[in-house]
Amino acid sequence: MQQYDMIIIGGGIMGCSIARELSKYKLNIAVCEAAADVASGTTKANGGLIHAGDDPVPGTLKAFLNSKGCLMYPVLSEKLGFRFLKRGSMVVGFNEDDLAVLKTLLERGRLNGAPDLELISGGRIFELEPETNRKAKYALYSPHTGLVDPFEVAIAFSENAVANGVHFYLSSPVTAIQKTEDGFAVTLPKGQLNGKYLINCAGVHADDVARLAGADEFTIQARHGDLLVMDKNCGIKDVMTLYPIPKPDSKGVVLMSTVSGNILVGSTAVMKEKDDVASYREGIDELIAGANNLIEKLDIHKVIRTFAGNRAVVVGNNNDFYIRPSRKVAGLFHVAGIQSPGIASAPAVAAYVVQMLKGCGIPMEEKKNFIDTRKAPVDFSTLSTEEQDELIRKNPAYGRIVCRCECVTEGEIIDAMHRNPQPVTVDAIKRRTRAGMGRCQGGFCQQKVISIMAKELGCSPTEIELGDKGSQIIYSKLKEGC
Amino acid sequence: MNEFQFDVAVIGGGPAGMAAAIEARKNGASVALVERNPHLGGILLQCIHSGFGLKCFKQELTGPEYAQRFVNQLGETDVTVLLSTMVLQITKDKKVVCMNEKGISVLNAKAVVLAMGCRERTRGEIKIPGDRCAGVLTAGLAQHYINIDNYCPGHRFVILGSGDIGLIMARRLSLEGMKVEGVYELMPYPNGLKRNIKNCLEDFGIPLHLSTTVTRVIGEKGRVAAVEVTKVDEKLQPVDGTSKIVPCDTLLLSVGLVPENELSAGAGVKLNPRTHGAVVNDSLETSVPGIFACGNVLHVHDLADNVTVEARHAAACAAAFAKGEQKESNPAITVNCEDPIGYTVPSEIYSREKASVLFRVRRPVENARMVVTSEGSILLQGRPRSYIPSTMEELVLPSAVLQKADGEITLKIESVLGGENP
Repeated sequence: MQQYDMIIIGGGIMGCSIARELSKYKLNIAVCEAAADVASGTTKANGGLIHAGDDPVPGTLKAFLNSKGCLMYPVLSEKLGFRFLKRGSMVVGFNEDDLAVLKTLLERGRLNGAPDLELISGGRIFELEPETNRKAKYALYSPHTGLVDPFEVAIAFSENAVANGVHFYLSSPVTAIQKTEDGFAVTLPKGQLNGKYLINCAGVHADDVARLAGADEFTIQARHGDLLVMDKNCGIKDVMTLYPIPKPDSKGVVLMSTVSGNILVGSTAVMKEKDDVASYREGIDELIAGANNLIEKLDIHKVIRTFAGNRAVVVGNNNDFYIRPSRKVAGLFHVAGIQSPGIASAPAVAAYVVQMLKGCGIPMEEKKNFIDTRKAPVDFSTLSTEEQDELIRKNPAYGRIVCRCECVTEGEIIDAMHRNPQPVTVDAIKRRTRAGMGRCQGGFCQQKVISIMAKELGCSPTEIELGDKGSQIIYSKLKEGC
Repeated sequence: MNEFQFDVAVIGGGPAGMAAAIEARKNGASVALVERNPHLGGILLQCIHSGFGLKCFKQELTGPEYAQRFVNQLGETDVTVLLSTMVLQITKDKKVVCMNEKGISVLNAKAVVLAMGCRERTRGEIKIPGDRCAGVLTAGLAQHYINIDNYCPGHRFVILGSGDIGLIMARRLSLEGMKVEGVYELMPYPNGLKRNIKNCLEDFGIPLHLSTTVTRVIGEKGRVAAVEVTKVDEKLQPVDGTSKIVPCDTLLLSVGLVPENELSAGAGVKLNPRTHGAVVNDSLETSVPGIFACGNVLHVHDLADNVTVEARHAAACAAAFAKGEQKESNPAITVNCEDPIGYTVPSEIYSREKASVLFRVRRPVENARMVVTSEGSILLQGRPRSYIPSTMEELVLPSAVLQKADGEITLKIESVLGGENP
């Protein structure tokens, strides 16, 4: 039985960023993730916006952590080798009522510590972003709003955590938690882990995990959001993030660029079942209407993907994060109710959790040999021709294109397969390399990816799954003996 | 980085590219043919059904057999064939930047023939709601899994779209002992060739449901468990109360093909929003002088033989361009079309001798005739007949018509009232 100081339940961006932060200390740490890969829940299904911090109600935990987290991203992106783009944003208003809301947001932002917010009007709006709907009259401009690929960030955190000794248990849903003399025994399908402290980062299932540990103290509901991704050649590119006037429970349908050069539109906000991450027709229609409110015209024929995710809402918590020691079980800590701006807040949450643990008297001694950087994987498509040529001459696998839409090479897929935590599903490879993320959506490369993965994993291609458990792509060989 | 000089660089080694390379060489040009896969043939290699070659070889061949004819012909030439080589960029001045296991190289060409083919439309593009589980794939990917990889991608299928690949796959799956629950088509008419409806569906007892689409994917434990199908109205919108759940483990999509013109766009080639292919003149030359296009990258064909014919024409023109031969000095005739004709290829004609115009109708038309006008006067009238979207039509304009055309011609299809004798 493995013995840990800290067991983190949930390998989303929260679990991964906290694991990395805790790995600065002399602690044995495990992360248990139910899915086959980190970043598989809410983390992979959102827009990846690093909000500046003008939206949360002042005085909330969200407000405190958001603007702090936003300002931590530029440095982290350098250290951990993930892409971060400070693209700026505008909340777009069309009339005097909207202007009143923008003024409230400006005031909130100032109280929350979001720097350099500016209320602008008229031509300045179109100077900053020519694609903006010509009917726009006012806007709240924030130069600090950033963009990330949220799963890229979580993966970077997880890989850096592994480099600093953290153990990841993937495909490991927690089925039981028992209180022991000096902590907890956590049951996973393949065995049991013992931990002195538990950190509950289980997303929409954090209430279920809390109950397993005997802490029936909050309930989570899921607020579902549809999103859509546009082809890189959809006619508009590198657009500044455009927000509508926010709604009480969400920021509304936002149009943004991604760090990879797509346009992304999201998200709707409708309460659904926790595990329902299906796309809805009404949601997709709302996204298209929402985008056409922010820009002149979205070319809906250039949609390449729709997807959806769930935000965790702790009932009766005013839509705030729920980050605190359990009220009922000593040694259990909740990082729950993480919804927008969860990605933006993640680094600040991790630092906050460390302070919380220290505040509870948990002994934490800093390591001297903490590795605080991670080398980014090769992204062939972004290299100069000379760099590409040199790379291929060193390793011919970089000369073999697998995904033609996103220009992903075999070398990059093999590199991803050798990273830790190791990706073992087609979707996990897609999140790391972008193979299958382009306009043909894997129509041309899926079979190539599967065969490379099978070779690297030493298994049959029929064993390679798309993402979720049971998501078999190929059932069997068609004819034996071939 | 290595640099090479060629008269003509052909991009893509499918039916269009192979025919183009052979023809350009025949016309005296030095030729490089660039193919990203390790084999020539393109999608033909996975089309193991017959029906190829009737026009070009006067016999019925399978896709691989049809491809092999051209592979053999190429083998007898000194065309430089670059396999497993991906083109990263084509510039306006016809530098072709490619990569393969040996590194990056640049082909400096005097003329370029674009022959990259097309890709299948995906679930994302048509925005089918529901679970994003395994078991939703394009017909072409399923064809690759079955015919090339020897994999079984599902047991019980629903096919959305009655495009030719979908129909052919319906038959193929049935032959392999898999169950095809039905083919569902959004439009009120089938999108594939008539012969395929007969040979692939009717002969196998597979139902075709017109004006019906898949409105939801229902997943269970990571894999498709069923799809919801719903009837649509004249505006193609789902009709409430007509939904039905069809259990299956795989949804196959055959919902259209899109020419792959990302490289062309990068070279500054102007695209036609209707075909998604390049705007070309009667030499199949694009808006960038010296860059020509043919095959499915220009517009989606229904027969490979037609691709071959088109490619030969493009290549002969490319070779002439490379040699510096003078173009026709006549003023251009713009080719316009009116609904129900969706598009024409080419959109400009320089020749006054003869010109072939290819077009498709957007919806089936019965008892109608082709009319060609120029500035209001009628130059040509056809006999009444029917036109369907799945069949590409060819209109050959003779010298007499071209001589009379006054700067433009317009193609129309007019209903013949009262059932005039054909």
